[in-house]
Amino acid sequence: MTERSGAVLDRARIELGLSQGDLWFHYFALGGMSSAIDVEAFLADILEPTAHDHDLIAHALNELFTELGQNHPVPYLADTSATESRPQPDEE
Amino acid sequence: MSSGHSPPADFRVAISYTDVAVVLDISGELDWRSSPELGAVFDTMFDRGHDSVVLDLSGLAFMDGHGLRVINNAARRLRSLGEPLTLRSPSIEVQRILGINGLAASVRLDLDNTEQSQLGPEQSSVDRNATVRSSPTTSIKQTDPMLIMPVERQLLDDALGLVVKLAKMAVRAADGVSVSLLRDGQIKTVAASDQTILKMDEGQYATHEGPCLDASIEGRWFHVNSLEKETRWPAFIPMAQALGIHAILSNPLLSKTRPVGALNIYSRSVAAFGPAEQELAAAFAAETSVVLSNAGLGASADVRSQRLHDALRSREIIAQAQGIMMERASVGEDAAFDHLRRFSQQSARPLRERAEDVVASTRWPEPDLEQIEAAPHD
Repeated sequence: MTERSGAVLDRARIELGLSQGDLWFHYFALGGMSSAIDVEAFLADILEPTAHDHDLIAHALNELFTELGQNHPVPYLADTSATESRPQPDEE
Repeated sequence: MSSGHSPPADFRVAISYTDVAVVLDISGELDWRSSPELGAVFDTMFDRGHDSVVLDLSGLAFMDGHGLRVINNAARRLRSLGEPLTLRSPSIEVQRILGINGLAASVRLDLDNTEQSQLGPEQSSVDRNATVRSSPTTSIKQTDPMLIMPVERQLLDDALGLVVKLAKMAVRAADGVSVSLLRDGQIKTVAASDQTILKMDEGQYATHEGPCLDASIEGRWFHVNSLEKETRWPAFIPMAQALGIHAILSNPLLSKTRPVGALNIYSRSVAAFGPAEQELAAAFAAETSVVLSNAGLGASADVRSQRLHDALRSREIIAQAQGIMMERASVGEDAAFDHLRRFSQQSARPLRERAEDVVASTRWPEPDLEQIEAAPHD
């Protein structure tokens, strides 16, 4: 795996000034089924989310970024796997 | 070099047994290094058939997501055995984390020692033994597991009703007690010991003045030793006197640090509230503030309830839209979501609105149909 997906999501969350609880709430509103604890573990890269869960979290973040005028800066796994443009590691 | 997985030196688990439960007293920092040790202790307890466990957090200095996860797993296992995990003396910070993560609802909280640190500064000079001997404060501690998690308004009102009852019993010379709370944008009385006291509060709301209102708004306490000599609140005072009240003590109630109401104590006697009564009233107000802080009233119960309602409605609409798309394109749930998500992204409109479009229309949304049909099915 390249840069850990949880770290990417968590950095976006921090950039939005969103608490983990609030992020979970947005994810939940989009239909997410994982618990708040599990989402916290995804963000900390303790648990690996399914691609669907990852993209739900990414979309929850992106909808909030959209409100700030930014166009979906958080990458979706469904898109990156199709185009092989996964985020690169900072440095191994 | 020591193993990277060794728990830090300051993390300790002390195990003791009562007649009914195993008590795990943890101290130090519960993080990625130490949480496996706690997990192993839980496993051992479960293997030995213990199904009643108390986790004492009074010595906990720090906890991260790893620690939270171990506790959550233990709570789940215990719950499946029918007995909730008891968390004893979590700090307010830990309680907040538990609340945010939805864990508070699946554990039993034992706050016997915690709220002591939450008492207001007025409490510091009081003789604690004397306070405890008066017993109602002891009683209120016993009700804490119920008080601390009232997310429903009725449950909260019941808890505040109990506060009123106990405060009236505990504070000598109190002839009536009420709790006024900011609700729906107005200060309202949510619990009162009797109709006269209710009228006292309502007199203040009607005249837009009085110690109860000032305490609720300004977040500091007001003491009226004798209404006859009182010059503040000229419109309200005659109403109070007509109801036979001569002394008032209003202590602010805070949610976190924000004033949200007041605990009001009334007496028919002049100079009824001396230093001891003032201290006790402050203690009750401080304990009630802990309840309010944990009930999340800072955001208002209505806002919380509306937010939850919106989220559930959003989930329902998105699920309906996914169902329609799955049926029409013979795709899986995730693929249907992915289509909706792309549609949302392309149109820069929230996914919920896109889902509403799908549900409202009998037409399949056009822009991405080819993509979704070309995509591998689940």
